[in-house]
Amino acid sequence: MNINTRQTGGVTVLDIDGRIIGSESLALKNIIDGEIDSAEDGEVKMLLNMKHVRAMDSSGLGIVIAAYTSVQRKGGRIALLHVSGSINSLIVMSKLLTIFDRYDDEGEAIQSFQ
Amino acid sequence: MGVAVFGSQANLDSRISVRNLQVKKTTEHVIHLDLPSSTHFIYVIDSIISEIVNDMGFDKEASEQINLAVIEAAVNAFKHGNNEDSSKRTRFEFILGREELTVIVEDQGVGFNRESVADPLDPSNLLKSSGRGIFLMETCMDSVTYEGSGRIVKMVKSKPSAI
Repeated sequence: MNINTRQTGGVTVLDIDGRIIGSESLALKNIIDGEIDSAEDGEVKMLLNMKHVRAMDSSGLGIVIAAYTSVQRKGGRIALLHVSGSINSLIVMSKLLTIFDRYDDEGEAIQSFQ
Repeated sequence: MGVAVFGSQANLDSRISVRNLQVKKTTEHVIHLDLPSSTHFIYVIDSIISEIVNDMGFDKEASEQINLAVIEAAVNAFKHGNNEDSSKRTRFEFILGREELTVIVEDQGVGFNRESVADPLDPSNLLKSSGRGIFLMETCMDSVTYEGSGRIVKMVKSKPSAI
């Protein structure tokens, strides 16, 4: 799994490419945890771009959920971009549709953080 | 029929050949796989089950469901069954039938009680970061049964044309 981190409009965007399954999920966890730890309270604005995520299991979903709760505790916000296919099915099955803010357009997603 | 050769060393990449897996649709075929219990080897399971569902002609949605269920079962066996002890083995059996796929996963742990697993859809559990594996297996497959005190999981998915 490759993860590219960039800043756009004050939002940290993580472009994730690959599978968020098994031990491969740890790379994502480490990067998210690093971003959350280094941010001041209330300043965490994170967008996970899932456009090139080919598969995700419950371990991967658990990492996204943990990121969501950690960011919430810090007063920040996390959102998902380009969630589709099997990833969307996983979120629906897990009844987490109403938990995550999801966007199909990056500009709209960035704007939502302003 | 293509050959799938598996070993216990870490350099399994070069020893896996499932790309040319071809199965006659008229008979049942069984593929056995034995892996060290490390989540590092999930990619092996992912590759094999992807080839099998493609070969059997499952549609995209069913293929994704089977793939997820098998990965969840593998992670459970590696992590919870065998505590990621790579000296312990996890055995996989894929039975490619004409009308259904059966996947059996067996670990060397002490097993578990299905009834003791919390419901991940309970509102108090929704934001927990773990505990969804069994639920996803049972949601994605047509049937999931547990034997050997929970050390053996048997999952079945029928092809749409067979339902």
